[in-house]
Order: sequence, then structure tokens, then C-alpha cells
Amino acid sequence: MAVAGREVDTQDKSARSLATSPAFGTFAIVFAIAAPIIYVASEVAGWPLFTYHPATNRIDLGWGAPRPNEGPAMYWYGWVATMVIGASLLGIVAARWPRLSARIPLFLIWLLPLLALPVLAYGLMPFWTR
Amino acid sequence: MNFIFDYISVSTFWTIVLIVHALLAVATLGALTHQAVSVALPVRRVVGADGFLTRFRAVYGAGYATAVCVLWVVTFLLGGWIYTKYRISIRIPLERIGYWKTLGAFEMKEHVAALGLGLLPAYWYFWKNPKYPAYDSVRTAVTLLLAAMCWFAFLVGHVLNNARGFG
Repeated sequence: MAVAGREVDTQDKSARSLATSPAFGTFAIVFAIAAPIIYVASEVAGWPLFTYHPATNRIDLGWGAPRPNEGPAMYWYGWVATMVIGASLLGIVAARWPRLSARIPLFLIWLLPLLALPVLAYGLMPFWTR
Repeated sequence: MNFIFDYISVSTFWTIVLIVHALLAVATLGALTHQAVSVALPVRRVVGADGFLTRFRAVYGAGYATAVCVLWVVTFLLGGWIYTKYRISIRIPLERIGYWKTLGAFEMKEHVAALGLGLLPAYWYFWKNPKYPAYDSVRTAVTLLLAAMCWFAFLVGHVLNNARGFG
């Protein structure tokens, strides 16, 4: 019990320190703003970090066309990877200036994902019009 | 991994994985719905006996934040794994019978789940700083947005599974 109690206490302390860290706050805010921008840019411009071919388990770096007789190509994993890595890098750089978050309009955090939705839905037009 | 298929069929295996994914989604949905209602319709003062609706929205929202983040990530990873099998075994047969709008809605669900993933660090941070008034409105907005995203993803996944499951 004592060991379990100590573990929980340690976890609580680390969570508290992260939650009260201005640097993490800046990271989280910049990550949330950058993520939808990078995701939409990656989808619209065709910048997946990699392409996955599920029928053959082949992975191509960047955008790769479906290969003849090898089934479809999947780009979603590559878009997500581009988003997570890109937003993390921007967030880490921004976290060096913890007071930066006070200057960022926080409404962008919920507005940008909402604005991304019609753009992404438009990209799926072949599904809606066929 | 292949030893599993000595005991159960491939379709049974993926059906089990899909059910676990759905159960995790239900847990995420429940937690986010409680939290969203608690910020959208907060209980200010209980007069008399508190009913079901009052108790439903009277939860301590901050207590859900870490669980929601963990559930979203685990559900996302499991869904991402299932997506590889879906692309071959589900989508291609549904394309052949012309379920284009259902397939489009599912692709939209994948986009929505990814956008939700991007919100999680900020969502967690805002909930872990409940006494900072500057975060009140953005905390409410992000929570409502994540709850709406979760409902959309859950319903689309449910409809697609009705259209064609792994079994």
C-alpha cells in the first residue's frame, strides 16, 4: 500500500508540475493552433510524411501513388504524422518563450479546427457527388 | 501474432478488436458528454431533491480531463490499426455496391479524430488550470467541440459497422 500510495503521489506531483508550467501551456496552445493548419495543408497539398500500402505493408516516404496490382495507398497516417511532428516542433520552439501564450488569441484553438472541417469535407467531394 | 489465427478466424479477431475500439469510444463519449454538459449547463444551486439531469451535469469536469485524453489516444491508435484492415476488407466491397456517402462520412470521421487529437494538450492544460478565468471560455468551447467530434465519430463508425462489419 505504501509503495502504491507513493507512486500515485509522484504521478500527481508530475501532473501538477506540467499543469502549472507556463512553458507547457505555451506548447499546448501553439500545438493546438498549429495542428489543424498543418493537417489541412498536408491533406490539400499532398504532404503526408509517408504513404502506407496496406495490401503489401509497403511504406513510401512522402506521397506515393498506388502501385499496379498492390491495392490502394493510404495517406491519413502520413498526414497525422506530419501534423503531430510539425505541431510538436513549433510547440517546443514556442515553449522557450513561456509568456508568448498570453499574446495568442485563444479563440483560434477552437475556431481553426471548425474552419478546417469544410475544407476537409470539400476534399472528399468525389464521395458526396458520385 | 499469427498464432492467434490458429484459434480464431481472421474476421473474428478483427471483430474483437473493433468491439474493444467501440467500447473505448463509448467510455470517451460518456466522459466527454458529462463534462460538456457540466460546462454548458452548470449546476449553480440545487433546490430540493436533485434529479437525474442535475446529477448528470453536476460532475467535477476537471476529474475527467486526463481520462478523456488517455481514452482518445488509445481509441485513436486502435482505430488507426483497424483502418488498415478496413481499407481492404470493408471499403473496397462497399465501393463496389456504391456506398459512397457512407464511405465519405467515414473518411470525414478520420479527419475529425485527427483534429481532435491536436486539441488534447490544450484541452488538458485548460482543465488542469480551472482557477484561471482567462481560460474559462476557451475551456468550454474546446470541451464542447471535442464532445461534438466524439459524437460524430461514434455515430459514423456505428453506421459504417451496420453497413458492413468484419464478420
